[in-house]
Amino acid sequence: MIPLTLPNFTDHLKASIGYVLPEVTLVAAACLLFLLACVRGGRAVSFVIALLGVASAGTVAWFVPEGVVPRAGEAAANAFNPAFAPIDPTGAASFIRWMALVAAAVYVFLGWTDCKTAPPEYYACWLVVAAGLSLVGRSNDLVTLFLSLEMVSIPTYVLLYLPAVGKTGQESAMKYFMLSVLSSAVLLFGFSYLYGITGSTNLHAIIAALTRTGTTDGSQPLLAVVGGVMVLGGLGFRVAAVPFHFYAPDVYEAGPTGVVGQLAFVPKVAGFVALARLFGLLSAHTPQLGLPFGVENSLLPLSMWVIAVITMSFGNLLAIIQDNLKRLMAYSGIAHTGYMLIGVLVASATPGEGVARSGMDAVLFYLAAYGLMTVGVFAVISHVENPDRPVESVDDLAGLGRTHPWAAAAMAVFLFSLIGLPLTAGFVGKFNLFVAAFEVPTDTKMRNMYQILTVVAVVNAAISAVYYLRALGVMFLRAPLKPATPGRGLPQLAVAVVCALATVVFGCWPQPLLALTSKAAPVPTPAPIAYVTSTK
Amino acid sequence: MPDPLSPIGLSLIAVTLPLLGSVLSALCGAARLPRLAHMPAVLTFAAAGVISGYVLFTLAGGKDPLSYKAELGTWFTVGDMKVPVAFHLDSLSLIMLSTVTFIATFIAVFSASYMKGDDGFARYFAVMGLFVFAMCLLVTSNNFFLLVAGWEGVGLCSYLLVGYYYTKPSAAAAARKAFLVTRLGDVGMILGIFWLWKFGGYHSNIDQLVDHITHQPPAADQITLCCLLLFCGAVGKSAQLPLYVWLPDAMEGPTPVSALIHAATMVTAGVYLLARTAPLFALSPTAQIVVTIVGGLTALLAAFIALAQYDLKRVLAYSTVSQLGFMFMGLGCGGAIAPNIAVTAAIFHLFTHAFFKALLFLGSGSVMHAMGNVIDMRKFGGLRKLMPVTHATFLIGSLALAGFPLLSGFWSKDQILTALHDAGTGRSVFHGYYYTVYLVACLTALMTAFYTFRAYFLTFWGEERVPHEAHGHAHESSPAMTIPLVILAVGALAIGAVVDPLTHWFGHFLERSPVLHHADEAFHKTTNMSVGHHAFNVTVAAISSVLSLAGIGIAAMLYRKGGPEKVPTVLKPVFALSQNKAYVDEVYGATVVLPAETAASGSGQFDGFLDALARLISFIPRFLGAVLRPLQNGLVQFYALGMVLGLAVFLTVVVLRSGR
Repeated sequence: MIPLTLPNFTDHLKASIGYVLPEVTLVAAACLLFLLACVRGGRAVSFVIALLGVASAGTVAWFVPEGVVPRAGEAAANAFNPAFAPIDPTGAASFIRWMALVAAAVYVFLGWTDCKTAPPEYYACWLVVAAGLSLVGRSNDLVTLFLSLEMVSIPTYVLLYLPAVGKTGQESAMKYFMLSVLSSAVLLFGFSYLYGITGSTNLHAIIAALTRTGTTDGSQPLLAVVGGVMVLGGLGFRVAAVPFHFYAPDVYEAGPTGVVGQLAFVPKVAGFVALARLFGLLSAHTPQLGLPFGVENSLLPLSMWVIAVITMSFGNLLAIIQDNLKRLMAYSGIAHTGYMLIGVLVASATPGEGVARSGMDAVLFYLAAYGLMTVGVFAVISHVENPDRPVESVDDLAGLGRTHPWAAAAMAVFLFSLIGLPLTAGFVGKFNLFVAAFEVPTDTKMRNMYQILTVVAVVNAAISAVYYLRALGVMFLRAPLKPATPGRGLPQLAVAVVCALATVVFGCWPQPLLALTSKAAPVPTPAPIAYVTSTK
Repeated sequence: MPDPLSPIGLSLIAVTLPLLGSVLSALCGAARLPRLAHMPAVLTFAAAGVISGYVLFTLAGGKDPLSYKAELGTWFTVGDMKVPVAFHLDSLSLIMLSTVTFIATFIAVFSASYMKGDDGFARYFAVMGLFVFAMCLLVTSNNFFLLVAGWEGVGLCSYLLVGYYYTKPSAAAAARKAFLVTRLGDVGMILGIFWLWKFGGYHSNIDQLVDHITHQPPAADQITLCCLLLFCGAVGKSAQLPLYVWLPDAMEGPTPVSALIHAATMVTAGVYLLARTAPLFALSPTAQIVVTIVGGLTALLAAFIALAQYDLKRVLAYSTVSQLGFMFMGLGCGGAIAPNIAVTAAIFHLFTHAFFKALLFLGSGSVMHAMGNVIDMRKFGGLRKLMPVTHATFLIGSLALAGFPLLSGFWSKDQILTALHDAGTGRSVFHGYYYTVYLVACLTALMTAFYTFRAYFLTFWGEERVPHEAHGHAHESSPAMTIPLVILAVGALAIGAVVDPLTHWFGHFLERSPVLHHADEAFHKTTNMSVGHHAFNVTVAAISSVLSLAGIGIAAMLYRKGGPEKVPTVLKPVFALSQNKAYVDEVYGATVVLPAETAASGSGQFDGFLDALARLISFIPRFLGAVLRPLQNGLVQFYALGMVLGLAVFLTVVVLRSGR
């Protein structure tokens, strides 16, 4: 292994600060909120500041999308090579940023009830999470990537703990904390292998080095594969893939509803994007290099295949016998992780040999659709539940169609979308993923494994209909168990209705979102491996 | 995005307006203002009618081909297939658009009075708006996907409106029947569209697809199959043999609905589809003769059944089926004479039929309204003094339907008969068939005149009788109902003569559609025959006049004094046969429903077995779930162990495998 000589890290970090202005804005708003906490700011003020923070970050992102590019003539600019900067604004970066900003705005509404105990801190943590998520999409260095991931995790511990009133809530926060730290450790372990083998923390350099060392017979240095498996394990926790999923049901069940709504979505996005970036699937710079962990090269795709199959089957099997609604959503989330892994796997197939789509575009679409429906479900739960009428088991939804017609209608849309029925975003998402997997040519080393995977996924999607439809039946066909209580928070209802509308709109007219995702993750055009690195 | 003031831009506004009306009507219902729900519908239909009428008049005149296209963006892309939201405005779609919106406006005005005080008032107008929107979408789309969306949209609205009185079991059953039977045809149509898509270079826009196919035609039997599959859809939607059975039952809906959907507009969608794809049919004379024969048989059978019905609306329903049969007979002539003559004849008949049939249905609605919802002609009679306006307008409608000389129906029916006659005496290989169908059509024309006037005399002549359901205050309907009748009556009286025989405006205008141009070219290439033009045939016109007068005369002889029925003993069995709808429902019951039910009960038994098997299989996921459940024991140390062990297993396998 010859370590690549790289330009100075700090120079590049300084130079690429312009790429993260919206994230800086978010964190600044968070700091303002933390200061506000010292004077015991109220809920409404915090709410407004948080929204303003998101709005100004959005404004910055809109008007300065590419950030401030280093000025020519400066010393830094001369040695500046965008591919080696720790921040990489190409590829899916801006898609993820907008996803994070929209999610941040949605969660500000969703947290309306949960944030009662300490509103400024609560919203401040939100904003840091959003900034972290956005940064994951543009990190191009092991260090920045790890920091961004922790920017998502650490505030989440606080968020889980803040509104937790009972013992079980605190217990679940502790569980999440410990297991999350463990997974971070595994991830760092994996990072250390990657660094050790290539001598660089820059993702571009790592991928370049691994691709270059791949010999003609397709073998990979074993240590690289070990590092890859560890990365997969560490990130598997965040996306809740089996066997790293254990925390999910317990934490979902006991955590505050709004925070769980975040936990079900943000870490998944962060995990999948980080995974894709590490494997060289989501940057405009890498396609020219080929894939370091592609099917021709290593056992990693096979491991992912196994994890995908176990994950979707395990999630669906356990969801079927689940009566607790939030645990059910946890298992459903696990199953959906399995589906999305298909897309990552497709993206790792050798590009250019008749592959019509990149696979990652399907994952991005699915993430957006999954976000809409899952966040929507939690918004409905958060809207309906109150201390007199907790929504714990599926049976607590009985008669919702009569007592809360709007919430029930939105919930029905989400459940249909989770099943993947046509005219919902969930259908388009599943369709894209499954077709992408089915169309992968069978002459690679994986032979027809992709086709088998598609069949497994379709069977799983059919099984999943059982528990979603059961919830639907309970909502509309049974009489309410308890007298109707008015819905608790209007902001949550607004979130639910907006998510339901978006689910239907993207289901009927997916083209705008499809165009965005295929722009964010275009089909790679492989160039012959003629790698030139810029040296100092 | 087209300029909103260009012809296509204006038309698209006209297409969307009814949707807006539908939403507003629904909102009126939701906002507890149901009594105002008719306003948005009436106003938006009228605005759409005025706009499309304006476009029609600005574009009339001229001789250039008339074709405007617009794409409003992409609906979706899947792989290589891109489906745009594409619209096409040519003379054909413009005529359809104007007819639909014009007729819909007056029917909406009529309905506002007819449906007053009904519980579902807002629902009625919301669905009606949706229907008009779907119909306009259907006739303006340039894309099979959008066309199918409109096609299914009108089907859905028809279902909702036939089942409008959903608490009545017969209405619910009729709605289901209408939906399912038309669905049967749709299956064929969608298969046909996919086949065409394959032959048409995977274009999803109709004009590109047709262009592709006419330039590189596939084998004759393949294109014939495609055309016949498309025709399946038309057979379902336009109630032709063997799928016409849903239309008479659909009369369970409110009468204005029957006037709009089941007489003037939706049921003509099949005719429109065939006209729109005329260039494809021009490639296949075989498909064309099938269309003509099916149309002829349907026209004859329906006219026969209509002879002895007592339900006024059913008489009109069967006559609609029969007249649609006439349109298909006309369309099918495209294989033997030029398609432009055939399509013009059919669309012309569609156009005049929309006026007089809507008029007749609204007239029967007016009668029904006055008679306390009784529609059985045995229970009332001699209404001409009681309801003078309804009587006069109904008479005009009947004369037009009977093909009385110089009225609208006469001219359009004459064009179809002339086309059939020319096809039968021309040099087509199928000329014998065409001539037979011509004779059938003449017979049907005679029967049409007879049953129309039988219904007319039974209702309006003889001794004045009013059923007790009318509660003694049977009266002429309010002006809101009679004014639409009068306007439609003027149309039924004169519009046929004005637009074609006098000015030849209709034919010239329609000829400017690129569709007919392409169809003529394709016809010339396929059959090597020259493309002629429509010419008035005095003999045919004379024969049809005589037949019409004879039918009216026989009816007058038998029913001048009103009811009850006086049938010569010799004809009793024939009458019974007609009265029982030629036993078609029973034949279907014995040949289709009964075997299906037997098969179904057999399948039911088998299903029980499968059910047990399925339950056994569905037990497997639950069982596996229960086995896996203990893994989630809530102990954080166990969870951590699980994660690390899992990782260890993967690492071990990877290391061992790569060592080999």
